[in-house]
Amino acid sequence: MTWQQIARKDFEDAVRSKMLWGIMAVFVGFMAFVVGVTLANSDGGGASGDAALGLTAQLGQLFVPLIALIAGYMAVVGERRTGSLRVLLGYPHSRWDVVLGKLVGRTGVIAVTLGVGSVVSIALVALATASPDLGAVAGLLGAIVLFGAAITGLAVGISASVRSRGTAMALAIGSVLVFLIVWDAAAAGAYALVTGALPGLEAEPWYFLLKRLNPVGAFRVVAGAFVDGYIHEFFSLGLEQIPEGTETEQLAVENRVDGSLPVYLSEWVAALTLVAWALVPSLVGYLRFSRSDL
Amino acid sequence: MPAIRTRGLTKRYDGGWFGADVTAVEDVDLVVEEGEVYGFLGPNGAGKSTTIDMLLDYARPTAGTAEILGHDAQADSEAVSERVGVLPEGYGLYDRLSGRRTLEFAVEWQGATDDPDALLSRVGLDPDDAARPVGDYSKGMTQRLALAMALVGDPDLLVLDEPSSGLDPNGIRRLREIVREEADRGTTVFFSSHVLGQVEAVCDRVGILDDGELVAVDTVDGLREAVGASSTLELTMAEPTPTDVVTDEGVSAVEARGTRLRVTCEDSRAKARVVADVLESGHDVVDVGSESASLEDLFAAYTDGDAPTGGVDGETGDGEADGEQRLTDESADAAEVISR
Repeated sequence: MTWQQIARKDFEDAVRSKMLWGIMAVFVGFMAFVVGVTLANSDGGGASGDAALGLTAQLGQLFVPLIALIAGYMAVVGERRTGSLRVLLGYPHSRWDVVLGKLVGRTGVIAVTLGVGSVVSIALVALATASPDLGAVAGLLGAIVLFGAAITGLAVGISASVRSRGTAMALAIGSVLVFLIVWDAAAAGAYALVTGALPGLEAEPWYFLLKRLNPVGAFRVVAGAFVDGYIHEFFSLGLEQIPEGTETEQLAVENRVDGSLPVYLSEWVAALTLVAWALVPSLVGYLRFSRSDL
Repeated sequence: MPAIRTRGLTKRYDGGWFGADVTAVEDVDLVVEEGEVYGFLGPNGAGKSTTIDMLLDYARPTAGTAEILGHDAQADSEAVSERVGVLPEGYGLYDRLSGRRTLEFAVEWQGATDDPDALLSRVGLDPDDAARPVGDYSKGMTQRLALAMALVGDPDLLVLDEPSSGLDPNGIRRLREIVREEADRGTTVFFSSHVLGQVEAVCDRVGILDDGELVAVDTVDGLREAVGASSTLELTMAEPTPTDVVTDEGVSAVEARGTRLRVTCEDSRAKARVVADVLESGHDVVDVGSESASLEDLFAAYTDGDAPTGGVDGETGDGEADGEQRLTDESADAAEVISR
């Protein structure tokens, strides 16, 4: 087992990479922008801290997958194309060591990037207004890093599965589109097929599970545990038949399911879903990688 | 136990729905004994690198097996890597790491204790250059670094795929010294090349691969004999000399042209005897030249199926490096003479 060596090499290499610092700068800039917008739109100091957290979670649905996929999709296929994988595998590393090392290394890179970006932006809020609740900040930070790790796992899995950079990029972009747009529409479509009607404000519990198997959906749930108010979908196609004038509080899943909430709709299951996204695609990627020629 | 043994090693690439299947390597039975320097020769595209890829588990054979130092190349690839130093074809290094840092990683990965500076000086890489990022390196510098990386951990087997590509004459000389040093320490060296002079200079045995098939395996001398190649001695005398001064039984023909005597020998050892005899008989020898059937001729013979002929320049590609190498290497002078 030499995956630690590969993880460390990967992390060190990433730290030297200008792209990583670029991504971090973009992320911090984006967070600063969010904070600025939130401050401009709020009057009470106390409210703005919570609003910043909410908006961070909202926009994180798009930015975290983009950052994680950009940082991760070349992890294995990049080394395959440059031939450095031939060097790496010339030493006593197994292909499993390579995939696991890459997964851990890139997750570390993503965690640092997202963590630093989030801390900087929250510090900005704290300087400008009353600071938000530190527990909520830590919780949201954890949710963002877990979400980042999930998408990194997917990216490394994609990277290990394919032979060309183009294929990896297409799959990465495709998965962002699926998670942000297609998934929820497909869930609503499946609901219509089974029940004969599109989901309304109240719906069968399994419909909500379906939406939460999407890593973005799972992130909304986990982040929602730390953020006041409902986190809206980044893109909503309006397939759910929600009556006009519905209060956002009523959108909470507790109010949309008949009776008590099943266990599989708890936040912990959503968190486990993210863990599964971090591991399963990498495992599949490894299986494909282990059978293929370099 | 041989250092490398393959049985029926075959690699076919699926041509997809519309293409035809391509057989890159077909039924190769290779045996490389421990401690020998084995030259793996073949034109570009013959399947040398595909074969090596299968030895190193970079590619999986369609059929057949490969054993390295007693380990199955596929099932025990990590155990193989622990004892094998590799300079693969088509490798890449991490552009952002310095040469020295790259080598430090290699030492760490191999679980070795080598001193990176000692390795750098062994391959002739300047300490100043070693501090620069690898992305700034020339091909030759990269190749030197990669060679140093292969030497990490004092491997029992060195697998070098086209190690001379990109090297200047000094680098090639250094490479040759390193191969000899390693061989003296008991390391088995498996060395692929399409440049024959280099293989001729360092290898004990040679295997020739053509179109995916191993067409010949022999010692360099044995190969010469097998093809019936003869070598020629050219004596420049002070004055015209009759051909009957040469009486050695290893000589098949003597031809006189002005002050020159052209002596065709069936056995290269006859050459020295002929020179000694001529001197002993009181004739004044101004100059001695020699042409031996080079591996290029053998190569052409084996890969084209023609009889070896003088003047065939069996090499294409990498001509520059090879040309330079010939100028610096006496043993390759023969080839130079022929192609002139």
